[in-house]
Amino acid sequence: MNKNNLILYIGILTFGIAAPFLFPAFKVQLSILCVLIILATTWNIQGGEMGYNSFGNILFYGLGMYLCASVQVGMFFPLAEWTESGGEKTFVHTPAQFFQGMAVGLLVAAVVPTIVAGLIGYSILGLRGHYFAICTLGLGVAAGEISGGIEIIGAGQGFTTPPFPDVGNLESRGEFFYFLSFIVLILTFIAVRGIYSTRFKLILNAIRDNEDKAEAMGIQTMKYKIVGWMISAFFCGLAGGIMGGLVGYIDSTDVAFDGREMGVFMVLMAILGGKGTLWGPIIGATVFHIFKEGFWTFFLGWQYVALGVLIVVIVIYFPEGIMGWLREKYPERFGEVVDEKDRKAQVELK
Amino acid sequence: MKINKIIVSFISAAVILLSTSVVSFAKVVGDKIVLGAAISLTGKYSSNGVHTQNGYNMAVDRINSMGGVKVGGKTYKFDIIYYDDESNPKRAAQLAERLISQDGVEFMLGPYSSGLTKAIAPVTEKYGVPMVEANGASRSLFTKGYKYLFAVLAPANLYLDVAIDLAVEKNNGKPVTVAMAFEQDAFSQDVRLGVLEAIERTGSKKVIDDKLPKELNDMAATLVKVKQMKPDVLVVSGHTKGALTAVRQISEMKVDVPMLAMTHCDAAKLSKQHGKNSQYALCASQWHKTLTYKDNFFKDGMTYDADFTKEFGYAPPYQAAESSAALLVFKDAFERANSFDQKKVRDALAATNMQTFYGNIKFAEGGQNVDKPMVLFQVMCDDGGKCENKVVAPTKWASAKLIHPIPSWSQR
Repeated sequence: MNKNNLILYIGILTFGIAAPFLFPAFKVQLSILCVLIILATTWNIQGGEMGYNSFGNILFYGLGMYLCASVQVGMFFPLAEWTESGGEKTFVHTPAQFFQGMAVGLLVAAVVPTIVAGLIGYSILGLRGHYFAICTLGLGVAAGEISGGIEIIGAGQGFTTPPFPDVGNLESRGEFFYFLSFIVLILTFIAVRGIYSTRFKLILNAIRDNEDKAEAMGIQTMKYKIVGWMISAFFCGLAGGIMGGLVGYIDSTDVAFDGREMGVFMVLMAILGGKGTLWGPIIGATVFHIFKEGFWTFFLGWQYVALGVLIVVIVIYFPEGIMGWLREKYPERFGEVVDEKDRKAQVELK
Repeated sequence: MKINKIIVSFISAAVILLSTSVVSFAKVVGDKIVLGAAISLTGKYSSNGVHTQNGYNMAVDRINSMGGVKVGGKTYKFDIIYYDDESNPKRAAQLAERLISQDGVEFMLGPYSSGLTKAIAPVTEKYGVPMVEANGASRSLFTKGYKYLFAVLAPANLYLDVAIDLAVEKNNGKPVTVAMAFEQDAFSQDVRLGVLEAIERTGSKKVIDDKLPKELNDMAATLVKVKQMKPDVLVVSGHTKGALTAVRQISEMKVDVPMLAMTHCDAAKLSKQHGKNSQYALCASQWHKTLTYKDNFFKDGMTYDADFTKEFGYAPPYQAAESSAALLVFKDAFERANSFDQKKVRDALAATNMQTFYGNIKFAEGGQNVDKPMVLFQVMCDDGGKCENKVVAPTKWASAKLIHPIPSWSQR
């Protein structure tokens, strides 16, 4: 790691730690930003590095959300009675129970989706291109409809997650969820950055560029595809678990398996920032979130129209995303050596 | 590694944007009492969201033009900050947080639908922000011991249980068979629980119990079953779209059923959209213009209906009426509390006991309105094809007699 990088990381870390105190009113939005970055970054493993456009990552997110909340309740109270009573107040978590439940819940929310990803990955990662995209799209929709029929997790009534216990002051809840999501974000970043510096990433890229050739080279592509998806599932599950606690109310199709919003947003953010790069999804998620929040405030009722215009502009003018555009504009800043003569020759050719 | 510079500049740009977007409102600015509301302006509840918003706006204008709110010898006017929750509970919870912590709102109005109210209530409760809501009827909202939630409407389980009683009565007190189709959302599922209780109480039998997806656009499968099973009553609940879909497909498939009980007929403008096809549908309603309640601001139901139609170009469904009533409740509570202290306003709200054009309002411990019964109306058309909703139950308010059983399609 060179000096510049170190300064950058320390800067971001300091900002991340200071943010909830600098902008105390924005804690919820900042926590959601962390979750969005996690989702975009992990989607990028499939969509960007591996070339598999997955709409199914929302499955792991929703699964994590339900699992975390269910475990948190189920560890201390009968889950069926909790949902029957609409949750809350009838049974009250002590602070210790709340945090223990959350910890175990998050663990389950990470591990189970990982296993699920392994199992279903084995069967559907054999599909390629559009077939894979459509199949994963179905996964999220199906999960939403199925979970909407399971009584023990509230079915259509929704699931109220345990309310934050009475510790500290009014700000504690926001701070707790912010730091939780920020820590998970850091873990995700470290993990993904680590992965991207290994041969694993090169194999994913090989799969993206030409899967048949990669196989001919003796790479067991299936194995790598599944592992890649499991890594995404792990962090998506965690993100879902946090989001469930943060929102406080889980609805099967609108909050948990929210393919129409979160499922699409994670793709959009990665593309906006530039897929297939480490920083692209992070920048994409940040810009997207700020734009969206801004539109919400200033273009009430038109926010999706404005968002649509943004998407059109991106697709037309920045097809490679923000990072891709910067890379084309300032290749030397990305450590690429540009031969001026060669460049001129290309311009003349055009 | 110049790329770092780019990233740093991006982050700083983001920070600047973030900090400039802090617009601070206080709860009471000058002579304004600022209320906050997350409303479904887009998404699956958008039509009802607009009814809710129109109801709020109508009452704000009326109260402001008639002297406003008098607190501590000073006159204040209402103002509302709206956000669009996109019919999404996740968004609604975020917006509640935003209204309270960023915009400094200290009093809230409810969103549309039980699901969204469920998502917002924990937030308002946490901050101790009194919320008067007019569109969250799910019973589970009122069993949680919320202290700052007040609903001007009757809980959802009371919507259609009367219809079952009515069917049993028409069947000479003998049990009936019931087919049920409910959307998978908090409100409709609660209506279902109410119907289930009525079925049990009357010894009736449920023959179909279908769950329908959100964004209800097709229920043909259920209707095929209804054709086969020939139940005495068909109960459908799925907000505006549910009502529209049910009537459309029942008329297309010529499904004969002696009684069709639904919700949201007036919000869906059923009689206008489907005309004679919607005839005989029995609908649960929180309010009807012919009810004889009165207040000083809107006078009575008929006047409200006329004023609302003049202003917005359509007859007010009960969603609009109850939303207007929420503002009347707030005004009353502010004046009785004679203060803007949240606790005092909350206590004043809890002690509310008043009549509005929409009905009597008195809150139970859980926050639901216990002083206002539901009414059932039936869509009735004259020979010219002009349809009207007429109250048929309870008898106290009835302006027409229930037509039962519904004539078969071959005779219509």
